Amino acid sequence: MSFVKRFLARLTNFLAWQPNDERMNEEIEEHIAQQTTEYLRAGLSPEEARRQARLKFGAAESIKEDYRDERGLPLLDNLLQDLRYGLRTLRKSPGFTAIAIFTLALGIGANTAIFSFVYGVLLAPLPYHDASQLVVLNETTPRVGTVSVSYPNFIDWRAQSHSFSEMAYVEQMSFNLAGATVSQPENIQGDSVSPNFLSIMGVHPFLGRDFVPAEGNSGTPRVLLLGYQLWQSHFGSDSNVVGRSIALDGNDFVIVGVLPPNYRSLDKIDVMLPLGVWTTNNTDTANRGNRGDSTVVGRLAPGASLAQARAEMEGIASRLAKEYPEDNDQFGVQLRQIRDVFVGNLRAEILVLFAAVMFVLLIASANVANLFLVRGAARTKEIALRMAFGASRSRIIRQLLTESFVLAFLGGALGLAFAFAGIHLIARLIPQDTLMGATIGLNGAVLLFTAGVVVLAAFVFGMAPAVHWAKRDVQGELKEGGRTSSVGAAQNRLRGFLAVAEISLALVLLAGAGLMLKSLYRLIKVNPGFQTDRVLTMEMYLSSQRYSKDPAVLNFWRQVLDGVRALPGVESAALGNHIPLTDSHGRTDITIEGMALPKPGGFPHPDTHTVSSDYIRTLGMVLERGRTFTDTDNQTSPEVALVNDKLARQFWPNDDPIGKRFMWGRFNPASKTPPKWVTVVGVVGDTKMYGLANPSRLEVYAPAEQNAESDMDLLVKSRLDPSALTSEIRGVVAAVDKDQPIFAIATMNKIVSDGVSAPRLILVLLGLFSLLAVILAAIGIYGVISYSVAQRTHEIGVRMTLGAQRADILRLVLGQGGKIALIGIVIGMVAAFALTRLMSGLLFSVSAGDPATFAAVAALLVLVALFACYIPARRAIRVDPMIALRYE
Amino acid sequence: MKQKKDVMQGTLALMILKTLDVLGPVHGYGIARRIEQISRDVLAVNQGTLYPVLLKLEQEGAIASEWSASENNRRARFYRLTKEGRKQLRAATRDWEQTAAIIGRFFEVKAEDLS
Repeated sequence: MSFVKRFLARLTNFLAWQPNDERMNEEIEEHIAQQTTEYLRAGLSPEEARRQARLKFGAAESIKEDYRDERGLPLLDNLLQDLRYGLRTLRKSPGFTAIAIFTLALGIGANTAIFSFVYGVLLAPLPYHDASQLVVLNETTPRVGTVSVSYPNFIDWRAQSHSFSEMAYVEQMSFNLAGATVSQPENIQGDSVSPNFLSIMGVHPFLGRDFVPAEGNSGTPRVLLLGYQLWQSHFGSDSNVVGRSIALDGNDFVIVGVLPPNYRSLDKIDVMLPLGVWTTNNTDTANRGNRGDSTVVGRLAPGASLAQARAEMEGIASRLAKEYPEDNDQFGVQLRQIRDVFVGNLRAEILVLFAAVMFVLLIASANVANLFLVRGAARTKEIALRMAFGASRSRIIRQLLTESFVLAFLGGALGLAFAFAGIHLIARLIPQDTLMGATIGLNGAVLLFTAGVVVLAAFVFGMAPAVHWAKRDVQGELKEGGRTSSVGAAQNRLRGFLAVAEISLALVLLAGAGLMLKSLYRLIKVNPGFQTDRVLTMEMYLSSQRYSKDPAVLNFWRQVLDGVRALPGVESAALGNHIPLTDSHGRTDITIEGMALPKPGGFPHPDTHTVSSDYIRTLGMVLERGRTFTDTDNQTSPEVALVNDKLARQFWPNDDPIGKRFMWGRFNPASKTPPKWVTVVGVVGDTKMYGLANPSRLEVYAPAEQNAESDMDLLVKSRLDPSALTSEIRGVVAAVDKDQPIFAIATMNKIVSDGVSAPRLILVLLGLFSLLAVILAAIGIYGVISYSVAQRTHEIGVRMTLGAQRADILRLVLGQGGKIALIGIVIGMVAAFALTRLMSGLLFSVSAGDPATFAAVAALLVLVALFACYIPARRAIRVDPMIALRYE
Repeated sequence: MKQKKDVMQGTLALMILKTLDVLGPVHGYGIARRIEQISRDVLAVNQGTLYPVLLKLEQEGAIASEWSASENNRRARFYRLTKEGRKQLRAATRDWEQTAAIIGRFFEVKAEDLS
């Protein structure tokens, strides 16, 4: 109990915070007075008596210190004292403080900003129940890769698998929304899902109810759940929205609920419908070979692992492939954890950036440590004096660390402001869909990380001066005026080491940035196979209600095309159903006339396009042979097609492809009906349909007049800025059908630019980080050399007196800097060579160890280092020997 | 370092308590003189170390203090034992005697007693 009493008394004294030494001083005074009296009585002289009394009392200052410690809480006391002292010393050297805080803020800010992406994309929990048990299943085929799941296959998967407790089918749909709820007709996206979908995910509607099992059956009443955003934008967040209806494609749907605000969907969706809506009157559901826009989500059964589920599903898929070879030959199955589907290839990109900012932070810390050491040299006397007055070594180190923490804390605070701005900037630079609904921001987890970074930084740059002081010979410092050669050498070694570290870290960053630069350069130099300038694209989807007959569809497109072509400023206009680089695609098997018939999974499987006559010209594609479509290629004329160069070379390597024939689908020798042959009339150049970095595929183009398509993109090549035409085109479409929505309006340039936005953003950030790193490293090496020149002024003077030429001195100083730079570059090269390998997945047609890039960044760093050394070197050669010799 | 200081402080604290028990209220110098008379070593050079210990005991509630006139008619701080202190002293005395007795017996033991 006495311990508690004592602590309370001390706490009270501490909080009362009166440095009340009166009682102590008075008692000590009285004590010494009494002792003096005693000695006087014993016959000593007054002076001697007083001296003896003091001696006997002991070291008054140290006793007072003990007394004060006893009275209050010395740890807290010291901390406050250190904080005050630290702030005071920082205020006294505003230049040093500002540079240090700014440097740290850049490092900490960059780390915080990038970590907010690491957290938002890779770490933040997904808004589902036990998301680690959720698996996304797709089919695969070697001819394409990952593809959608056919509905009959899903039914078999669900019936035969045991490693999943439940499975749900998700079909992506799009609808035209017109009527009272909207001012302008628009197109919205929806998922049609098995009724158990939301319960598998562990998601509960925000308003209303979940789907019921019966709503999975064909013929179910039309109901839907609103997405939270659509509910806000179109229904004014009406809490009585349940029971109201909404018209999709001209059909009324009853709203039964609203999805929660944090719902994250694999597809960007505005509404969710029960699967029964999609299966109603839909022949695709019985067609095993039809793979639409669908995926399957399953929840692993308790105790089942992903590997077990994969093994089981692969078994099921191969059984189905044998059982239904016509539709499933060579089709397999792919299982991914739902997190991986959301993260996609962002993981590598974010982690590379994260590693880069860590490097920046290390360099920034090394730089601040260097600043501290320089200032430490200036503070040698102050600290030596304090130690001589009885401040313990640990007390001095604590003091120095407190200063580091104060700096790191201030740097962290400013860094948060930088991070806040940085996050918004980065978020603006990436297309919205890239993050797949991840929330990026300064949340609790990110702030915790920042706090950790602050502590880490404070230790990294605070330990150097602290360790340095822990080993110092104070007496020597005082005697020799702080110029002890051995100590100076040790300090120079430490600073040299820091400079070497900075250079090597900077080299790694530069190498990364250099590789990205070369990669992006090669990427944008890739010939996409089409010309993007002044081309505007927009999509229209004719819903089946009004346009159930082919003539109606064709009439609509004809009228729109005629109207748009008549607009002033339009060079050409065309229709196509899949715009390159948008991931929109359609593929089908074809049979080349005369080919040896392969097994069902081995037929040619090209991308198919339905395009109007001016498509090739409008997109600026190359017609290599033959002709493009004309208006005479219509429903009364023979079926014709264009093929791309790749297809022509693969199937008619030695013949003229013009006039060759193929048929849609697989040729069946047993069939009674004769095959409908399609004649190739032209060959066009390959295009980069799936991104500049991806190889071209086989492509076939069919004339729009012979294949009525309800979902088409309008492409308009204009003479001037194409986006200026948007409203006039809208007018043309409204004149044909006022309820027809237009969506996905974008210029081709924007589509291409969005396609390379990820590598571009990584390049911009890596470039910024490495620029920062190089500047910091240059300052680091400059600091070391210029300090060393200042220290060696005397020596340089002696050398010059003894006949050294300016060139010799220059060589001496540059040699010292060059040595640091070279060691740093060699270490950096080795590290970069090991580390850039990790980013090889982000590089396009550049190897991770590209020698040219490495040589270039090394040369750049050598130049920067030499320049940084040249400034102090010039100072050295201007040393006046006479002044230098008197410099003692 | 720390440990040695603690041991010394503990011994010193006990001496202070005993001194106050025997002499009644007395100022710091008086305590120092008394301790010095009895054990020359502890305070031979560092009389001042007494004061932090006095403060510690006071904050623990074992002793109390107040200003009063000293022999040479100046103000001195007089210390006295509290009830709590008396209890502490009794307990410490008992502990000390026990320890001393045990250690004493150990030193009396001869080799033949152990065989």
